[in-house]
Formats: sequence, structure tokens, C-alpha cells
Amino acid sequence: MKRLRAVAPFFIVLLMAITALSCSSGDKSSVDEPGNGDTQPTGNSSGATLRLTGPDPLTLDPALASDASSASYVVEIFDGLVTIDKDLQIVPDIAKSWDISADGKVYTFHLRDNVFFHGESRAVTADDFKYSMERAANPDTASITAEAYLGDIVGAKDMVNGDADSISGVEVVDNFTLRITIDAAKPYFLAKLSYPTAFVVDRMQVEGDKRNWTKKPRGTGPYMVEKWELTESLTLKANDKYHLGAPAVKKIEFLLAGGSVMTMYENAEIDVSPVGINDIDRVTDPNDSLNADYMTANSMSISYIGFNVNEAPFDDPKVRQAFGMAIDRDKITEVVVHDMLPVAHSIMPPGLPGYNPNAKTLSYDPERAKQLLAESKYADDMPKVTLSDVGAGATAGQDTQAMIEMWKTNLGIEIEIVQTDEATFWQDLDKGEYQMFTAGWVMDYPDPEDILDILFYSQSRQNNTQYSNPQVDDLLVQARTEQDTAKRMALYQQAEQIILDDAAWIPLYNGRDHILVKPYVKGYLLPPMVIPRLKYISIVQ
Amino acid sequence: MQGFFPYLVRRLLWAPVILLAVSFIAFTITRLGPGDPVSVAMGQFRDQEVLERVRAEKGLDKPLIEQYGIYLKNLAHGDLGESYVYKNTDIGELIFPKMWVSAQLGLVALIIVFSVGIPLGTFAALKQGERADPLSIGSFLFLQSVPVLIMVPLMQYVFVLKLHWLPTGGWDGIFDKRIIMPALAMSMGGIAGVARITRAMTLNVLGEDYVRTARAKGLREFTVLRRHVARNALLPLVTIIGISLVSLLEGAFFAETLLGIPGIGRFSFDSVHNRDYDAMMALTLIIATGFILANIVVDIAYTLIDPRIRYDSRKSG
Repeated sequence: MKRLRAVAPFFIVLLMAITALSCSSGDKSSVDEPGNGDTQPTGNSSGATLRLTGPDPLTLDPALASDASSASYVVEIFDGLVTIDKDLQIVPDIAKSWDISADGKVYTFHLRDNVFFHGESRAVTADDFKYSMERAANPDTASITAEAYLGDIVGAKDMVNGDADSISGVEVVDNFTLRITIDAAKPYFLAKLSYPTAFVVDRMQVEGDKRNWTKKPRGTGPYMVEKWELTESLTLKANDKYHLGAPAVKKIEFLLAGGSVMTMYENAEIDVSPVGINDIDRVTDPNDSLNADYMTANSMSISYIGFNVNEAPFDDPKVRQAFGMAIDRDKITEVVVHDMLPVAHSIMPPGLPGYNPNAKTLSYDPERAKQLLAESKYADDMPKVTLSDVGAGATAGQDTQAMIEMWKTNLGIEIEIVQTDEATFWQDLDKGEYQMFTAGWVMDYPDPEDILDILFYSQSRQNNTQYSNPQVDDLLVQARTEQDTAKRMALYQQAEQIILDDAAWIPLYNGRDHILVKPYVKGYLLPPMVIPRLKYISIVQ
Repeated sequence: MQGFFPYLVRRLLWAPVILLAVSFIAFTITRLGPGDPVSVAMGQFRDQEVLERVRAEKGLDKPLIEQYGIYLKNLAHGDLGESYVYKNTDIGELIFPKMWVSAQLGLVALIIVFSVGIPLGTFAALKQGERADPLSIGSFLFLQSVPVLIMVPLMQYVFVLKLHWLPTGGWDGIFDKRIIMPALAMSMGGIAGVARITRAMTLNVLGEDYVRTARAKGLREFTVLRRHVARNALLPLVTIIGISLVSLLEGAFFAETLLGIPGIGRFSFDSVHNRDYDAMMALTLIIATGFILANIVVDIAYTLIDPRIRYDSRKSG
């Protein structure tokens, strides 16, 4: 789900801006003040139904959901052994408790006996979990997340590769006890189990119609699917038998077809709307009637410029540092992004356990940048530099253009931009064909391993900067199995600072959501990552 | 009329050959382009081993010509393939409901274009030299120059936010008021075009001898217009129907996107972006079939409207 459609949150803001083209009335006086006798509809006239817009889910199969859009619905319909609460803590879900062996490798989960599939009277058992995990790992299922999320379990990789018919590390002890053995003590393992790949599915339903069962799947979550019209709408109904308490809102309707969302919100056709860059100024204006509905929160994601540290001129850290110091990120954020996104000062995004508010990125210092460039081995012989970007082949994002201009002014280097569409971008990035690129990262589970180890460990397959530092490798390997949380986070912070000093990345912005919520909608959360959140909402007319 | 049926049969026999050529070109172009649906779908879960495995499962590792053969074989059985993006979903299941929505919308827009354009053009022709002539066509030319991308938000501002007459968008069939905005926005471009051609052709015909003769016979002006002028002046418009379909398709993309209509416009764009191979193929083939059929129908319509046109199988049509 890390792809989140676009490469950088900024790209998303741009998309929102395009959508907002149709939303923005452009005229602030057009917004009627409430209570002035105008006939404009107010209030949710559809009873207890919450009306939302949402991204289009590509599937509701937990084993196949690999994008954030699909996952955001799957987590409401299905459950796993553990889940993530609104404070981003790993908490019991279908498992009411668990024991971890002294060596940190064996997890024994004790399941609740009162969890039922939607509309069924059969309780979920340990067998169902074994079936579900093995189904996800079965090559026939073609899950692309199975290896990443279940791969730590002994025997899971063998099954994914077609070398085994079951996962030896998942054992049913009795109806309500499940034992999972992993290959090494990994403190982040529980977090991985909160991802849909490890969720429980109804064997009877799946085996009954392998192809079409996800059209109206039976999960165990707070909401069940009432109707799903592909690319049009998805209607969820509250599961009154939900084991953690029936949710307050009885019906939730997601419009998936897009359209002029902001206008729909103003016309009281929906209850929540994202805010695009064209509308941000008016909704943040305290004198505007929409301002009272405005809500904003950070999301755990980051966009950045990555350097291929094996390619000239970026194999010289001084050149990378010079590039980092030659751009004024604060100014770009203010002028181009309208401060919709916060400037990133670290690799680990704020909110992530281990986030270091004291991490230091390179500050804007054109003089020092020039000096560093003069000291580098490419001082007199700068090769041609190309920045690769995702785009539709038109002009680059305004923020990218601003950076290009700053590098030209402050360093005297002309940079060429090459835009490719997403499909090509990922492929070429994997081949290490880019000198310098803009990209983004969205956290899947709240653990530093999910960003630092995956992107900067020298042997990681997704190490797109080709960054390799034995000291960082040591720290990352140590952190993987360190059982003391405080020590573990300190190891990650240490590794992070070294990477920042080496300037393998120029962090740009962190993600931030901006929305409008009707006043009668209470408890609407803007979590920094995909977590079950609909159960917290209520409608108070 | 004796040569007409052999001509029709020949045209119909050519159709599959053209479609085969279209399918081959489309198939080759889509697959030779960089990137593939698997790499898009996997995003950052890009593990080479997994990529290769999934590609093999989808048959994407086979030689291109073999893949094409498999595609044709499935197509012959009426199987348009499966979406690479929407998991476990047949292309037909995805495309046909959307096609139906877009077709209804397009039809309504087309009806508006011709039912407003023709009377407007005729009116302008009859008022030639008066102020009403440039004024009527000019105002529609102005509307034509406003792109759908601007027209829709303007309409929303007026009809939704100010007057509260219409809902913001969405779709609920041809008899629902939600169709008003997209159909109007999409037809604006065509009205001026049809009106101008109607005007020009009408002026042309009005100067013909047979019109003067008809009037000299003492026929009523309306009869002259209907029987002698309209029939001859409208012939070129038949050809325009085909071209109008193309511009409607363009307008549909923006209108559908801005108004959240589950039609084919937005879906086509997404399919290309996601490299949803089979969806792209199905769209290309369905649209190509539509155009081939439309052209055949236009040719048949000619023979019905214009007695001067006769298809002779011996002297190529």
C-alpha cells in the first residue's frame, strides 16, 4: 500500500487541486452565512446514514489489497488477531491476549470465543486463521503482500514460493489458541499482523465462490458490505454483533465516482470533503463559514528527493549535501504549497514511534553549498544531471520547478527533468537507472523498520538510492531484534541521523490531510495511516 | 438499388478484417510501451521475484505473438479478459455498464446538438443579412469556445450553489435531472458547428433553380423548405454524426470526471494509466466496431436521403 497512487503527497495535492477546479466557486461571498434565511440545505437529511466520498477500492479481498484505497475499506470489514487503535498502539482484536516466548520467536494467541462472521452463527476459530494465512501465502491466490507481511513466519516463504503446502510456523493448538513461530525475534512482527494480509476470511464463503466472494464479503469487522457497485458506490451497514461493541453510525455510504466533491459538500450532499489547494485559503480564513468545519492532521508519509549514490555526480557526498543546502524548502512550502504540507525535518515522519524531533536536515545555506560543490571532485567537471519525476508529460510540479531554479541560481547547475508515468517510473527506479528522483513513502505499520530498514539497508531490495553504509547496516540489524523499545528507537534515530548527514535523501514534505466535516458528525478521525476508524464516528443531529 | 446488397455484404465482410488489424496494432502498441500492469499494481512492493511470479501467472512472460494468439482465442469465445487492476473482475462486467451510461448520455447530447443546431442554422440562413443571423450563430460560437472543463463548474455554480435546482453530479439514468448538466455541457460544442453547416448548406440550396421553381409553382414556403431545401441541405449533416461521436467522447471525459458520472470516459483514462491491457483492448475494439458500424449506417442513410447516390457492385461504390 506504500504506493498510494502517486509518488509524493504533493502530487496528491495537485490532483486534489485539479478536482477542486470544479469545486471552487472562487467567490467568497458565494458562501452564505448560516441562519440568514437562505434556502440552502443544511443538516444531514438522510437520517442515520453517513455520506462520504472515498477512493475506489480495487478489491475487498484482504489477501489482495495492496493499495491504501482498498486497505482503508478492508480494515473496516475484516479483522486480524491484533489491530491498531487511534493512538497507533497495537491492541487485541480477535486475539484477546498473547504470550511471547523468552527468545521472542514464539507467539501464542488466545482468541475470543464470541467473534462471528457477518450474519453467521459460527465462531471464528484458530483453524480459520490458519486457513486464511495459508490462503494468502498460496501462490494461487497471487497475493503480492504475503511475502512482505507473513514472510517472517517460519515456512511462509516456502509456501509463497510454491515449495510447501502449508505454513509450518502456524499451528492450531486448540479451537481458540493459535501458535505462530517466526524466524527471529522481531519486535515489529505484531505490527505486521495488523495489516489485511493476516486477516481472517470465511473459509465457507471463499471456497464456495473463489472468484466472486469479495463482491459481498463476510468479514468479522465493525461494518459489513450491504452493496458494492464497482467504481460507483459502496454501502456499509453496522455489524451489531461486532465483538468490540456495535458501531454508532448504522449506515455509511461511500461515493466512489469522484466529481465535484467540494460543491457536493457545500450543497449538503455529503458530510465530509477533502480540501484542495484552490480552496485552502478560504476554508482557513476564520471569517469564512466553512472555517468551523475545517480539520487538519498530519499523515505518516514523506516525499523526498533521492540520489543514486553510485552515479556521478552523486557518488560524492559533498555534491549531495550541496544540492540539499541550495534549496529553500521553507520558502517553497510557503509559496507553492500554500503551507498545506509541513516541511520534513527527518526521515521518520512525525507521529511514528521513534520519530526524532531533533533530527537535523541540511538547512538552506547557498554560500556553504557553493563551497561544498567547489570542494567536490566534480567541481570543474560537472556531468549532466537529470531529475526523474512522475508525471503525465506536461510541466513539472511547481515545487519541482522552484527547486530546479534554486539549483540553477545557487549552484549554477542546469538540471533536466524527465517525466514518466507511474508504470515506467517504478520499473526504471528498480533498475537503478535514475540519477536523482522525486518519490514518496507512506507508512504501512507504525514501526521505523518499515521505512529505515526497507529503504536504506544495503541489501534491501527496495534500496533505490543504492545507499550502503556499514555503520548504518550494523545499527539497522541490531535494531531488528533489540527487545528494549527505548534502546531500539535510539538505534534507529542514530541510523537516521547518519543517513541525513550523508544526504542520501533531501526530505521535502510530510503528508497532511485537510478536510471539512459537518458539525453533526462527531468523532471523525484523521488518522496518520490506514486504521479502522469508522467505529468511532457518531451523528448527532 | 440492385447493387446495394452486394455492396453492403462486402462492407460487412471487411469489418472483421479491419477489426483484426486494429486489434493487432492496439495489442502491439499497448504491450511494447514501457511498464506493465503488474509493475503498476505492485507499486512499491516491487520485489523482482514476486514480479516475475505474478507476470508468469498472468501469462505476460510468453512471447508477444503467443499472447496475442491467446487473446484472440479467448475473444472468439466472447471472453474480453480480466482486469489487471480490479481483482477477479471480468472486463465485460466493468465496461458494459459504463458503456451503457456513456451511450445514454451521448445520445441525449447528440439529440440536443441536432435538434437545436438544425433549426438554428435554418433560422440564421433565412435571416441572412439581418442582425439575427450573426447574433444567433455568434452566441453559440461563444458557448462552443468555452471548454467543458470550465462550463461544468460554471453550471454547478449557478444551478447548484446559487439556484439549488440540481444536485452537484452523479447519475441516475436518462430521465433523472442529473443528466441536464452533462448533456448540456457536452452538446454546446456541437450546436454551433451543426448550425453553421446547416446555414451554409441552406443558403446554397436556397439559391438553386429548383427552389425558385418550387416557389414559382406557388408552393407554401414551409413546404418548399421541408421538401426541397431541408432534404438537400441536411445531407452533409449525416456525415457529421460520425465526427460528432468523436468530439462527444472527448467532452464525456471531462463531464464524467467533473460530475462523478460512472461512464467510460474516466475509465478509459485510468485504464491506460494503469496499463490495464485487456480493458484497453476491449475499449479500442468496441469503439472501432462502433465507428465501422456508424459509417456503414451513414452510407446506407445516404441512399435513402439522396436519390443521386446509388451503390453499384460492379463500379465500386
